[in-house]
Amino acid sequence: MLRQLCTTVCLTAALLAAGCGFQSEEPSGETQGGTFRFLLGSEVKTLDPQGTSWLVDFMVIRSLYEPLLRTNAETLELEPGAAEALPTVSEDGRVYTFTIREDAKWSNGDPVLASDFIYGWKRAIFADSAADYAGLFFCIEGAEDFFTWRADQLANFSKSGKTAEQAWDAAQKRFEETVGIKALGDRELQITLIDPTAYLDELTAFATFSPVHEASASKFLDVNAGSGSVTVKAEYFKDLDALVTNGPYTLTQWDFRQRLILDQNPNYWDKASMGNTRLVIAVVIDETNRGIRYEKGEVDWYPGVPTSLPSSVDLVKSGRSDVHYSPAAGTYFYRFNCRPTIEGKPNPLADPRVRRALSMAVDREELVNNVTRQGQPVARTFVPPYALTDYKAPVEAGVTFDPEAGRKLLAEAGYPGGQGLTGMTILMNAGGGHENQAQAIARMWRENLGVEMQLEVIERTAFSDRIRTGGFTVGRSNWFGDYRDATTFLDMWRSNDGNNDSKYNNPRYDELLKQAAKTVDHAERAELLREAETILIADQPLMPLYHVTTLQLFDPARVKGIYPNAWGATRLDRVRVVADEADAAAPAE
Amino acid sequence: MTHLIFWRLLQLPLILTVIFLVTFTLVWILPGSPLDREDGRRPPPEVERTMLAQYNLDSPQSFLTGYVRGLAKGDFGPSLQYRGQPVRGILAKGLPVSMSLGVAALVVALFLGTFAGVMGALRPGSPLDSASLGLTLLGISLPNFVTGTILLVVFAGLLRWVPVGGWTSPVDMILPAITLGLAPAAYIARLVRLGLADIMSADYIRTARAKGLSQTKALFKHALKVAYLPVLSFLGPAAASVMTGSFVVEKVFNIPGIGDYFVKSVQNKDQFLILAIVLVYSTMLILFNLIVDVAYAWLDPRIEL
Repeated sequence: MLRQLCTTVCLTAALLAAGCGFQSEEPSGETQGGTFRFLLGSEVKTLDPQGTSWLVDFMVIRSLYEPLLRTNAETLELEPGAAEALPTVSEDGRVYTFTIREDAKWSNGDPVLASDFIYGWKRAIFADSAADYAGLFFCIEGAEDFFTWRADQLANFSKSGKTAEQAWDAAQKRFEETVGIKALGDRELQITLIDPTAYLDELTAFATFSPVHEASASKFLDVNAGSGSVTVKAEYFKDLDALVTNGPYTLTQWDFRQRLILDQNPNYWDKASMGNTRLVIAVVIDETNRGIRYEKGEVDWYPGVPTSLPSSVDLVKSGRSDVHYSPAAGTYFYRFNCRPTIEGKPNPLADPRVRRALSMAVDREELVNNVTRQGQPVARTFVPPYALTDYKAPVEAGVTFDPEAGRKLLAEAGYPGGQGLTGMTILMNAGGGHENQAQAIARMWRENLGVEMQLEVIERTAFSDRIRTGGFTVGRSNWFGDYRDATTFLDMWRSNDGNNDSKYNNPRYDELLKQAAKTVDHAERAELLREAETILIADQPLMPLYHVTTLQLFDPARVKGIYPNAWGATRLDRVRVVADEADAAAPAE
Repeated sequence: MTHLIFWRLLQLPLILTVIFLVTFTLVWILPGSPLDREDGRRPPPEVERTMLAQYNLDSPQSFLTGYVRGLAKGDFGPSLQYRGQPVRGILAKGLPVSMSLGVAALVVALFLGTFAGVMGALRPGSPLDSASLGLTLLGISLPNFVTGTILLVVFAGLLRWVPVGGWTSPVDMILPAITLGLAPAAYIARLVRLGLADIMSADYIRTARAKGLSQTKALFKHALKVAYLPVLSFLGPAAASVMTGSFVVEKVFNIPGIGDYFVKSVQNKDQFLILAIVLVYSTMLILFNLIVDVAYAWLDPRIEL
């Protein structure tokens, strides 16, 4: 009987082992130009430059695709990527012309054309692919109107009596006629904007603005006869043979949720500057597992070490030379609900004096030193003051810890000693370690102002829903900048912005942002934005707490070319792993 | 028996439809939008509206019709969280991994559990019995993430005998299979021990022993077969749950199975993925229970199906 059982079990095991989905091992042998290995803490979901908004995806996409401009990781300056130089800009700041470098080639040897950029960008501006970051293109003349037009066309497709192809042709024609993106010859690309958008250069260095190789991608077109939509199938962006890229690398291997291997693109124009010819990216979700891998020396770089873990606090304080702890372009804050009423009852937080008083009663130094214990930079403004070179955040206008003034302000608003301020809660999502900070802040409010706050912890999707629909009084939040311009922080507080969940509404603030959008002169524009942020800080629809930080591990003596910075700008192709000190002293080629 | 198998298989689609509808309703009324991002960032309203329409999320009717139309083509729809990875692809890649790990874990559980159970029943009160009882107690009380992490830190981190997780060779199976198999092993050991203790003092075993049959033979030839009946009822659901992966074990050992999705798809309200995962799990649960029923009849001819 036991023998029978054993045989059955062993047989099943053997049968299954044959098809148990083992993933391929890393190709053996060192590459000639060196290998750079690193860890990612979450899975790469897609390599479609227009089909994602995840930072990990962008990190790999930036190595596969090269947009018109790139950010120099060391100096953080923009430099030409696929374009041969920075663009020429018309006097009114609305027309940008880029020339693509002559030696820019796709991995299959084809020249990179202006039309490849248009093809890639169209994928975001056409509603078909439902791109997260379509909104980034809406500064281009006609793009937003076109997006809505195509979305309507698709919504009414079944009633239109047209075929998907006919609708597609009509859309192509309309795009050419109405959207301000034109190819002037093979290598010249002209962009016409609605307003002089000072950060357009920044945008064209963003991964969503990458080109897509039209000839290979169009073989994967999916024409949906039912909905009328035309998209490039997701398979294209994982097909090792079909995918054609123009960046420093091509995709060699991708085991979902395990590993990606990228090898040098033989046709990349700037091969000579590369510090390695192979990237081995290990995807490991569990932080203990990641830690062991790094300590064992399996990887050269461990970016994005979770800062909320107690072990990270020890790491930061350890003084180890491979620990790199730096402020990032993001802010952790509490948002106040500014609607006049919440669920039919008058909302005391609609009064800026109450919000300001609450903010004055929070000792941020204590928060970062004794609660988070990581000494993050204390935030007085929404835009991190160190993050931008051409914008000076109005730190001096920010709220400082002053319980006495807070109590006075609260009494002025009609709530002396916190009387009448009841039924308020701090809403937060579970996971991520927000509770300790909320408890500390609730205690500060109770002790300094006499205001009682309940804490409410709920699941993330329910949390988003409550924040979006206004079912909160105080909600925890954080925000990271997308591109290097103050508007990536300030735009969300405009009265009509989709991310303005506080429903903050100050016409003067809206007006200043509108004026800034039309201003060509950089200094003048920065001044307008600064004035807007001063108003924002005075009104305190949000209570900035601290600016977020990032923690990464790499041995600077061995790994060259990683420069921790606020924007996470890294050129993976420039990273060089040296075997010993002698090698490190040798200049890069 | 053929009649039973046929009848049960006929019921399968019906049961699955009911499960599908209940899950769909629950997921639909779950608060939040599947397009919400962890950092709270949202695209402009017109983009968001378009995204909802493109994924058939604008109304329950359009979702259901879209889903059924896709199912007819064997398409489980797109994953909303892992965009660019169709649900079908995610399952096709992850399911074999979870299943083979599950089988390995079951093998571990059966061997360990039977061994500990037999030892306990044959020599009650001996040091071996105490040791096996202690082991089963540990197996039941220690959560996966503790055993997994300890095994990983000791054998992969300190001793470096095995790789730090991953899924490239059978060596990668050892630690996770032990971690995953320990808890069911403990249950099996207790069931076998209890069963054997009863049966070994039964009349027919005493008769067999009196007729000169050795204890080992009596045990393996007659007793164990009957003692396994309760183990079988336990194995059905245990196999289904172990073979559809474990969130914790797969995370700790970095295994690309489907266990992770059970938790994450719900947290992210990834509708297409939740539905597919629930359907896969239900199908396996029903099939394994059927297999167990058939195995009952095989082990004990007195049972009629």
